[in-house]
Amino acid sequence: MNVTVEALPKGVLLVVEGQVDMHTSPELRVKLRENLEKKMNPLVVDLTKVQFIDSSGLATLIEALQAVGKYGGRLRLCGLAPAVKNLFKLSNLISIFDIRATREDAVK
Amino acid sequence: MAALPDIALEARFASHSRYLQLVRLVAGEGATLAGFGEEDRDRIELAVVEGFTNVIRHAYGGRTDQPIELRLTVPSGVLHLELDDRGTFVDPSRIVSRPLDQVRPGGLGVHLMKSTMDVVEYRKNSHGGTTLVLEKRRRPNEGVPR
Repeated sequence: MNVTVEALPKGVLLVVEGQVDMHTSPELRVKLRENLEKKMNPLVVDLTKVQFIDSSGLATLIEALQAVGKYGGRLRLCGLAPAVKNLFKLSNLISIFDIRATREDAVK
Repeated sequence: MAALPDIALEARFASHSRYLQLVRLVAGEGATLAGFGEEDRDRIELAVVEGFTNVIRHAYGGRTDQPIELRLTVPSGVLHLELDDRGTFVDPSRIVSRPLDQVRPGGLGVHLMKSTMDVVEYRKNSHGGTTLVLEKRRRPNEGVPR
């Protein structure tokens, strides 16, 4: 898994690539925390190049959602592949997260 | 439904999370070879990764050098997967997911396995550990086995 961080005019964009699981989610957590500590808003996570997320990856995103809420920020996800979107549905999280179809929409 | 090929895969891994991607691909390719469609392949992959993760976390308490055996067979239109460990036997009655209406990290692995597979069972094995059994039935309208 690889995470690239790009500054936005307002907020920050994290582009994630690969598989997010128990092995790789700690690295994503570190990148998210670095930006949560800076109170970045919005925090956009682009998952277009993510083929697979498991419950460990979901837990990492839930932590970020809760942390961003503490300073009144917004976390947006975009580019969910069908398997990833289905995971959010199965976990009853599809309406909890702000999920956008495209990066362009998410960074507005 | 087309006749299913005789598929039998066996692999042995150490209980390290670095193997999760390989475990997912082995199960996924087995599912595709057996004629499962993409959506079911995704579900099977998710279930096997959640199962393998639970073995590392709960049966082996995070130890990374213990054996986990994966067996995959396809008898009579059913993909049958077993994950065998030699760790602490997990009492099935104590394996529960958190309520879905509580939005907090963790506790979703068992729920995801049960949501994606037709059978999720825990059996005590001859090593004193646990064998996790996962089964998925092939849908009648799914493609021809590769």
